[in-house]
Amino acid sequence: MSYGMEIFDSAGNETFSTTDSTWTLLGVYTSNADTSTNHTGVPVMTTRIVTRTMVDQISGDDESYVHTFSLSGSTLTTTAPSASETVKTIFMVFGK
Amino acid sequence: MAHGLLVKNDDDEVLIDSDFKHYHFLGKFNHTSVTQIPDIMEGGIANAAQGSNSNKGMQNMPSKGEIYKYTVSVNGTTPPMCFVKPTSTGSSAPFTGIVLTKQVSTNWEIWVFQSTVTSASPVLYCFSPLSQISNSTSTTHGLKTFDSSGGVTFDSRFKPLRVVGGGNITSPTLAHTGSTGSGYTASLNVNASNVSTSFTSQSSASDLIYYCPSIASACQEHTFSESDSGFHSWTYYAWARGDVWWCFYRSGFRIASTSSFEVNYGVYARGHVYEHVVDSTNVFAGLVLGAITGGAYFAAAIAAAIAAGAFTSANVDGGNYLPYENSYRNNSANAFIISKASYYD
Repeated sequence: MSYGMEIFDSAGNETFSTTDSTWTLLGVYTSNADTSTNHTGVPVMTTRIVTRTMVDQISGDDESYVHTFSLSGSTLTTTAPSASETVKTIFMVFGK
Repeated sequence: MAHGLLVKNDDDEVLIDSDFKHYHFLGKFNHTSVTQIPDIMEGGIANAAQGSNSNKGMQNMPSKGEIYKYTVSVNGTTPPMCFVKPTSTGSSAPFTGIVLTKQVSTNWEIWVFQSTVTSASPVLYCFSPLSQISNSTSTTHGLKTFDSSGGVTFDSRFKPLRVVGGGNITSPTLAHTGSTGSGYTASLNVNASNVSTSFTSQSSASDLIYYCPSIASACQEHTFSESDSGFHSWTYYAWARGDVWWCFYRSGFRIASTSSFEVNYGVYARGHVYEHVVDSTNVFAGLVLGAITGGAYFAAAIAAAIAAGAFTSANVDGGNYLPYENSYRNNSANAFIISKASYYD
């Protein structure tokens, strides 16, 4: 590395470096079952990804739809595809 | 940022921003138990005097995958990010995905579904914000950042998450394409084409771990019904039989190469429900199969099967065994993140 930053532990092992890439957690948002929700105040970064996790499901309690979503600016819009068969979904927004 | 620390790489990507919580290594977790969903089977007479007695079991049905259960000790409402270190990589590796994330007391319960049974087991590499990590360290070297409330957001002593690749991947629609069977022979194996996407090439596929919860599912069935009636040796006869064989599939993922990530399905649960009736006093109009599906009772069927180690229909009303018929759910883009096990071993 000719420039940048490296962080080492006490044994001299590198634990982080500016040659790395990572995703920073910008927020965690929960959309309850069967409910469409707009989450506001989502921090903005140049690149963001959204992961979805269905929570508390054995699989098949119902048809187990997860919410669909769109992320624009500081608003995460989540939509329940079914009014009765959509599961609780946790959205994690990461940025870098 | 009015004050604090902001570190970017030369691609202008944020590496450290003291305003935000960063994920740090929580630990490696091995499964506490492994199971399969017992077959959900229900039927009438096993050997009827009239009509076909063919395949009243699970002949020709595809093998099920297995479910590994993990208890991740992290106390907080933010679920841990659990990266899967698969049992193998490459074009023949099983597909593996997290199918359950559930907070239980001060732990999170994670279930990992693998499409085939193997002697080796997947290992989870889990990450969490520092506020949910109770690990301690005596080392005094490193870098630590705080947000405006004084909360620690980054601490190099706890192995911050380092990412080597990622993107989005979309599961196939149906798990099985083409004919689902003929007569009393079901054909429900996973034959959908794998979906692949690429990521930044790495030196060793076997060192890679990935984060990508399974959300897609498919449920497909093969139905067949037959009946006959008439006179034989001056005696009236009538019989009817109807069958439904079905599979419930969940999506899973694999590291196909040093630069390729793939998704497809595995058989998560399967079943066979039939009714075979012989009656010399009535002429059957044919069996009614329409009541077999229904969704709401699938949970009871699955839960009962898991609890008892075998399926019982005692709590399942009206033969509602399937979540839905010949369709799929959640077939939309799934974000995935790739890291290296060697960073944390």
